[in-house]
Amino acid sequence: MTRLLRRVARALLGVERPPVYYLPWLVRPGIDCVLMLSNLEARFRSGHNAGPFAFRVTQYAADGRLLAEHHTRLERGTDVAEVTLAASDTGWGFVTIGDDPVQSDLYVTLSDGAAYAATHGRQEFVERYPARSRAVLAVVGSLLAWLARTVPAFVRYQYAYVGAESRSDLLLLNLSNVTNRIRVVTLPAGSPSVLVRIPPMGSHLLDISRLAQPAVQGTRVVPLRLEGNAWFNLYVVGASERSTPRSLMHVK
Amino acid sequence: MSSSISGLLSATFAEPGYEHLVELVHQRDASGRRRLEALAVELYDADGRELAARAVDPRDEVLDLGKLIGEVLQPGARALVLFDARYDPDAFPYRPHHYAYLHRITSGDPPLYYAVNATLGGVPDRIGAERLNNFETYLFRTRPFAERYSLLLGSVARFADVEARVTCYYASTSTTKTVTLAPKHHAEVVLPLEHAGEPLARVDLKSMFRLASYVVGRRASTGSLVLFDHLFTYFK
Repeated sequence: MTRLLRRVARALLGVERPPVYYLPWLVRPGIDCVLMLSNLEARFRSGHNAGPFAFRVTQYAADGRLLAEHHTRLERGTDVAEVTLAASDTGWGFVTIGDDPVQSDLYVTLSDGAAYAATHGRQEFVERYPARSRAVLAVVGSLLAWLARTVPAFVRYQYAYVGAESRSDLLLLNLSNVTNRIRVVTLPAGSPSVLVRIPPMGSHLLDISRLAQPAVQGTRVVPLRLEGNAWFNLYVVGASERSTPRSLMHVK
Repeated sequence: MSSSISGLLSATFAEPGYEHLVELVHQRDASGRRRLEALAVELYDADGRELAARAVDPRDEVLDLGKLIGEVLQPGARALVLFDARYDPDAFPYRPHHYAYLHRITSGDPPLYYAVNATLGGVPDRIGAERLNNFETYLFRTRPFAERYSLLLGSVARFADVEARVTCYYASTSTTKTVTLAPKHHAEVVLPLEHAGEPLARVDLKSMFRLASYVVGRRASTGSLVLFDHLFTYFK
């Protein structure tokens, strides 16, 4: 029933959902962010296994601006290209992968120079709203924002962790061309909560200690409910009191 | 609730000295908690000996695996941990997702968050458990880091031994090592960082059925886990 209602709502709003493969990026002083691009699985796909393979990496900044485009080419599916994502001193966002279809998981790595951690991207979609729907959502969203609420068109749940030494922040990705107001609520009480306004194709790094104080000993588990007015997803960012973030993790 | 109950066997590895919190369910719905029907946790040492077996209250959302490991393992040891979950497929149409938070205590390293291997069960065509060949791969950055890489491999089988073929690829060469695992045995297979002067670029893992398998990176100076990830599975 819910699925049917969603389909009807999408049709009324005229939403399109072009498929996209995306990965997060995050740069801090002393932290390198490097993409690893390959097309490994293509070698098992008859008719699709002959190179070269072209990759167009479109890098979006936190405010949704198109920050850079990177082009690379692999001669064979087993080749791997590393693309370093630059920003000023600090930045985050996501990249989308275009041109040849991706037949493999692509990785993003964060390194402090001594070690690195990696996670893979996701094959999903972005939502494209026509102008009239963007206008409607802008008006309704602004009104609800006065009440610290949003249109809960998409809801997901996530555990966060807050300890004396470490915590898991959330990198929220707005995978749409409308402003996405995402309300993050701690459960079960529903309070405290924050309302985050993310520009189209933008992102927000949510410091989870804004929502929960660390446990005196060990790590506190914080169940969260996230509501957004357009499609969004998140990556978990491992953070520490004594070092910069150096791990990212996808969540289904 | 439906009249049929589904099963999912998930697996991970655990060592003392870490905060290790395992999410037993991942989603909630508006009408209440989506919970498991039952969950049993079993721990095995490298030789397949059962170290502990516990029934977990399915109303629990997160299991403190680090605490459990601290009760049964000596420092420096490691356990294969199996999560035998029963669930209502109406509550989890795909399957319950288990994720975990992993942090080396007092290391100063940031925590890791990872997806627990689904090794058996769930929706058959979504988990590579029913095919004869199981094929996984992982890529490595080729510039040198002060980090050692290995595969953690465990057999969740009840009766049969399984051979795992681990092939490391370098720029122009490769090396292959075969590891035989008896039921509930596990091993850490070190991946040489260099071969014939070329850096490690990729590892392939082939086996006759799905293993518990993770690629791990350890900080060279301390042995702390700084990378803990599942491999990419072909032929799902």
